[in-house]
Amino acid sequence: MPSRAIAMESTTVVFAAEKYNAKIIPNILTIDNYNGSQPAVISLQDRFTPSVTNGVPSPSVKKISRLKTTVDNGGLEIIGDALKDVEILGQAEVTIGTMDSSCFVTLGYDFE
Amino acid sequence: MIQLLPMPEATVTPGVPKYLQEGYFVTFTDKWPDSLSWVKGKSFVIEKTNQVPYDLHYIIPSNDYRDVDISNSSDGEKIYPENTKTLYQIGVGFKPANLLCELFIPAGEYSQRLEYASMVPTLSSSTLKYLGAFKPEDTPYDDKRLFFYAVYKLEPLIMRLYVDTGIDYDKIIAGLLVNKCYMRQVVLTPEQARHSEVIRYYSELRW
Repeated sequence: MPSRAIAMESTTVVFAAEKYNAKIIPNILTIDNYNGSQPAVISLQDRFTPSVTNGVPSPSVKKISRLKTTVDNGGLEIIGDALKDVEILGQAEVTIGTMDSSCFVTLGYDFE
Repeated sequence: MIQLLPMPEATVTPGVPKYLQEGYFVTFTDKWPDSLSWVKGKSFVIEKTNQVPYDLHYIIPSNDYRDVDISNSSDGEKIYPENTKTLYQIGVGFKPANLLCELFIPAGEYSQRLEYASMVPTLSSSTLKYLGAFKPEDTPYDDKRLFFYAVYKLEPLIMRLYVDTGIDYDKIIAGLLVNKCYMRQVVLTPEQARHSEVIRYYSELRW
């Protein structure tokens, strides 16, 4: 299972690029805001460009939030069960309300 | 031409290969058109094979579809042979998704329908959209059970990939295994003919 731990030094961080012949299945999301300077408003995002279809001949980039949580400064949250059945169709990204280099996010995932 | 292999009721040892192998015989019925004279009414032995995997992928919104032409036409996926002595046996399987797959050959003509006039696949109907539609569990990615047979210049076969309601978008991943078969024409003995794989023209699927 691949995983990455990244400091939220910008408001949007890419954790896994789209794998075209698979979906990304997140297994664990850890938000370590122990040394954070403010509550971390975290969103797990799915970014992709849909295919041309009968109904949408010129599709545009879509960014869909698949999970949201807020972790108080001084706190740590480990999300496992709540990720059950969450699928990322395109690129897996994590956004934070206010960037904070002391807030660390770890995402573990598989491909399916 | 289009074949869905059912789940086996029993297993045999050694197993029977799903894909055509070297030394197998195939027979094209005489219903194939004169425009495909290189196979019409003829029998062949498979002299050599080569298996080529390929994945197609599309992200499609709910209640919408994409028509995927697997032929070599300009908008097609170029999965057809370019040689009159080649037969492509194409196994198709899908990864789990909220998918219905309808087949058309040629474009606009359903391959799976019932005999009553209105019993045709209809995506705008809450019931008839499930008529004639294959789902991922019918032909899983790792256990492909839907097979197409393509020869040079065959009319385009269209897979209509529809994402059913109840979801925002879904990613459709169609795994193909193209079994390239190089054929040599033969005259079959009655015993060989009994073991030959009969490949029917699509018009024989509608009666």
